[in-house]
Amino acid sequence: MFDQVEAFYRPESVAEALRLLERGKGHAHLVAGGTDLVAGGGRSVRFLIDLTGAGLSYIRKRDGVCAIGATTTMAELEESTALRAIAGGLLSRAAATCGSVQIRNRATLGGNLAHGSSAADLVTPLLALDAFVVVAHGLGRRKTGLAEYLERAHVRIGAPSLLVEVGVPESLRGARCGWSFQKFGRTETDISLLNAAAGLQLDAGGRVKWARLALGAVGEFPFRLFRVEELMTGRELDHTLLAEAREQVMRDVKPITDQRASAEFRRELSRVLAGRAWEECADQARHAI
Amino acid sequence: MPLNTVGRNVRKVDGVKLVTGAPAFTDDIQMPGMLIGKILPSPHAHARILRIDTHRAKALAGVHAVLTWQDVNRVPHTTAGQAWPEPSPYDTYLLDSKVRFVGDRVAAVAAESRAVAEQALRLIEVEYEVLPPVLDMEQAMQPGAPMIHDEPDSKNIYDARRNVAAHIMREIGNVDEAFCEADYIFEREYRTQRQQHCMLEPHVTICWLDSDGRLVIRSSTQVPYHCRRQVAMILGVPVSRVHVIKPRIGGGFGGKQEMLLEDICGALTLATRRPVKIEYTREEEFYMARSRHPQILRMKMGVKRDGTVLASHLKVLATTGAYGSHASTVQGNTGSKVLPLFRASHLRFECDVVYTNTPVAGAFRGYGCPQGFFAMESLADEIAEKLKMDPVEFHRKNVIRQGDVDRLSAQLGEGREGLPRVVRSCGFPVCLQKAAAAIDWEKKRRSPVGHGSPVMHGVGMACTMQGSGIAGIDWASAFLKMNEDGSFYLQVGASDVGAGADTVLAQIAAETLGVSLDKIVITSGDTDFTPFDTGAYASSTTIITGGAVKKAAEKVRAQVLSLAAKMLDAPVESLTCGYNEVFCKDEARKAVSMTDIGLQALYKERLQIMDAASHFNTDSPPPFSVTFAEVAVDRQTGKIRVVHLVTAVDPGVAINPMQVEGQVEGAVTQGLGFALTEDLTLDESGRPRNPNFRDYKIFSAKDMPKLTTILVQTEEPLGPYGAKSVSEVPINGVAPAIANAIYHAVGVRIRRLPIHAEDLLRALHERQPEHAEEEVLVVQ
Amino acid sequence: MKTMPLCITVNGAVRQWTIAPGDLLLDVLRREGFFGVKRGCEKGECGACTVLLNGKPVNSCLVFAAQADGCDVMTIEGLASGGEMHPLQEAFLEHGAVQCGFCSPGMILAAKALLDRQPHPTEEQVREALAGNYCRCTGYKKPVEAVLRVAEKSNGAPRRHKAGAICR
Repeated sequence: MFDQVEAFYRPESVAEALRLLERGKGHAHLVAGGTDLVAGGGRSVRFLIDLTGAGLSYIRKRDGVCAIGATTTMAELEESTALRAIAGGLLSRAAATCGSVQIRNRATLGGNLAHGSSAADLVTPLLALDAFVVVAHGLGRRKTGLAEYLERAHVRIGAPSLLVEVGVPESLRGARCGWSFQKFGRTETDISLLNAAAGLQLDAGGRVKWARLALGAVGEFPFRLFRVEELMTGRELDHTLLAEAREQVMRDVKPITDQRASAEFRRELSRVLAGRAWEECADQARHAI
Repeated sequence: MPLNTVGRNVRKVDGVKLVTGAPAFTDDIQMPGMLIGKILPSPHAHARILRIDTHRAKALAGVHAVLTWQDVNRVPHTTAGQAWPEPSPYDTYLLDSKVRFVGDRVAAVAAESRAVAEQALRLIEVEYEVLPPVLDMEQAMQPGAPMIHDEPDSKNIYDARRNVAAHIMREIGNVDEAFCEADYIFEREYRTQRQQHCMLEPHVTICWLDSDGRLVIRSSTQVPYHCRRQVAMILGVPVSRVHVIKPRIGGGFGGKQEMLLEDICGALTLATRRPVKIEYTREEEFYMARSRHPQILRMKMGVKRDGTVLASHLKVLATTGAYGSHASTVQGNTGSKVLPLFRASHLRFECDVVYTNTPVAGAFRGYGCPQGFFAMESLADEIAEKLKMDPVEFHRKNVIRQGDVDRLSAQLGEGREGLPRVVRSCGFPVCLQKAAAAIDWEKKRRSPVGHGSPVMHGVGMACTMQGSGIAGIDWASAFLKMNEDGSFYLQVGASDVGAGADTVLAQIAAETLGVSLDKIVITSGDTDFTPFDTGAYASSTTIITGGAVKKAAEKVRAQVLSLAAKMLDAPVESLTCGYNEVFCKDEARKAVSMTDIGLQALYKERLQIMDAASHFNTDSPPPFSVTFAEVAVDRQTGKIRVVHLVTAVDPGVAINPMQVEGQVEGAVTQGLGFALTEDLTLDESGRPRNPNFRDYKIFSAKDMPKLTTILVQTEEPLGPYGAKSVSEVPINGVAPAIANAIYHAVGVRIRRLPIHAEDLLRALHERQPEHAEEEVLVVQ
Repeated sequence: MKTMPLCITVNGAVRQWTIAPGDLLLDVLRREGFFGVKRGCEKGECGACTVLLNGKPVNSCLVFAAQADGCDVMTIEGLASGGEMHPLQEAFLEHGAVQCGFCSPGMILAAKALLDRQPHPTEEQVREALAGNYCRCTGYKKPVEAVLRVAEKSNGAPRRHKAGAICR
């Protein structure tokens, strides 16, 4: 119930939004799609700042980066031809698995990241894609790696700031690439109990040029499994390598137990889903020209 | 004569208003001056209220009433929507000085807006003496367990000292002797969970005082008459001063076979003299309404080498939660409707239903049968396997047949001695044959798909039955009168909960009167304007209310024919009704329209053609249902996907086949949730962990398997036009059919519901030989 | 209590309402008499509150009314036109896809939005489009059939959403 809200603002620029946040002094809440804020309830909210008019809904290509505005909806991500062309459409595919049509028409990329849920389905593929975020604050804009942003998301900093853009580098491309997004839930529209985003490129001899693996909903937040990636790089992609990679995954995850699943189950699922992600990647890579 | 309306897939008579969003549900009205009521729920599972201070809440602007136990009468009652005298214990109070589960009522407020009401709740100061709770039903009867109902004035609790709300022990034949004659004895333990109805429309009630000062209750209820009686008793108001109106209801499934909010809402209206609305949020609906009784079932069966079942013994421990609503009757059904599935003459059922400091259980589609059939049909599958019999063969050999008499029912009526059941119609043989064919049973049993891949398929089956109305207790009445345009007003106390009762009853009336469906205008569920009906439960509306409608229509038909005979100057015996007119059987041109008869009656004869009838049955003809499931099990993740679910059901005659199919399809969907995903869990303090759709998962359109529904119609002598019922029985076989299919797929038996991927995966990894678990096989 | 003006087109008619800044679209619509928009969970999970916002299905329980200022909203009440029901409404009745009817308005609107974009969807696409509308009565089989039947019978091209009047 938002019965304490005194005013609703719809700033037309990021600068205006930041000014409003400053004036709100902790009682102002940003809203875009509302799917997290409203569902969470808000007796303490006194000012609402609707970001959807601040010019942050866009998907543009710019200097080898696909720049996505923070209030771009999941539905827009799902349908974007520009995004479908990157990494086999990994981000679009992940967006398509979130919730329902109704949710996807409202939920935004920025909201998914800022809410900080471990199960955020867009974060996992963005990590695998080496995405960065752009945060605006009173004195300008700052570019940060996504992992760093996630770690600091819950830390309160002095001045108000606003996630305005996510950048997806287009550098991971070329022949013999493969990408996969895996998700495990109790039902088809469930929040992820576990999700995985993987990508790799093979050279002409079938050896791994580079590999990416990110897992979400396993631990406190989604993360990259760098040791697994290192293990795979330069090796021939065969059953032995996959078995080793899966074992390394099991060692590297720090799963949590919650009402959806036990840590033990998540650890086992990590192994299985990572393996399936690699198999799907390998399949694509071998068939891609 | 061939049937004109009965047996047709007519559109629902209330359909247009539903698809156009016309205001038809309880909350679809605005009343000037209406206040919002809210209940303060207990944060503790077990506590005494030492002090409760409402002065700050009362002082808040916009608050019109705050009630605590000190402000209301103390009248022990049950909230169960059952015929008086209710068999459930009278252990509940409008407001009490003790709370017995997280969510129990502490106080109630009425305020000018939802926000003010919620604020007022926060201003109520309560000092609790927190008591140790009993959360585990296996602890409830142990010596030293805290006594949940220590109040002296509650009635009809079997043994309050030991937290036993009800105890049942019934036997026919001699089970112990019969076990001695068995070649094999099988015994297993099964566990089922707390499932919630999740009807899309949460409980909502609006009360007001009409211009005569009578209390009007507009409520989403399956039991308007029981509500009226119970609210009158609790509030100390004469029944004649209470008027209950049931509008369209957004689903009930037994959750609304309960007087849940009407008493407290009425109390707030009496205190404020204003209309008051209480509407549960979805969260409140999950843990402050009702849910299915969790059970631990120990099922034991003795069989001969050739597969004949000689004896069955079912021992059940169930919990009714903090109050005993439906405690004895749901569990009674677990015995009475389940054990007689097989034709053994030696049956024993024993059951303890205990209180725990957990959300209150109540009626839920199947009413004890889903739990019982999960146990019985899972065990039957194990037995068939051990005897190297095809499960279908095992069932053909053993299931109840037409002509059989079920004597266990005689012992387990609704709280009192019941009546023996005679099976006068039984579609089991055809159901088994058609369902097996529809899923391609033979082939899939022999060579299931998936060998060598991580995903293995399997098929399994289950047979189940239910009842149609409660023999000797469920009854209904109907009133019918004729208008001058040849239409008829049909008034029934029945409660269409969404399943289409109004349509089916109108079809029966139209058929009997010989008029088209549009000539019937039906009003239902209003205690001022419709005659008595026990309500929508026990799969009774089609057979019992339908029976009353048919009788009333026959009486009115006789009056119509009598007047027509006069108008046509023909002997009554030569006339018949059909196509909106009365005509001579031998000379169809000699006819008079229903319109002309109506006009003649009202304006020339000065006669209102009208009549009424009541109806009940002394038996409860079982509908039968056979479920076959094909599953695909991912052996690496434990994920279970149901590929195909076939249900062959014998509902007697299907008054509206499309509606019957709809009931089957809805019931099996709840059965899928019961089998695989639904479980309202509590933490160690008794607080609900997942009172929301995010973490209590029900099936969406994307989760559904292929559904095949086969209607095997039989003619039931006790039902109007041969109908029995269908609303509950299809839910019963889903869980055991799936569990059995999983075993066929991957060789693991899960005996606890819901079947989580995690538990299946663990079982697959830990796979032990069958008999390492419990002592099972006794060869004699 | 603070208030603010809201200008919104509902079912083709421009409305000027006074709302509180924190009001949710579901509450405002019901308060203004659009009872076809149902309250089922208030968390965007059940879909009973589905309306079309600028042609797109959304959970009105998650939209602040103020966010819909200047927008076009369609509720179930706006689907029938000139006394004739929309083919989806007819099909839902004809195929027994309505039981208690509480989920029906939301489900029918979600189906309409699908058919407006995708006149001949596959069964899988229909199920995806309806995945956000819980139904506890029907098991979804007849609703899906009804939508597919309507698609079969139509020879329509995708319909572009027509923006409503601008309110200022």
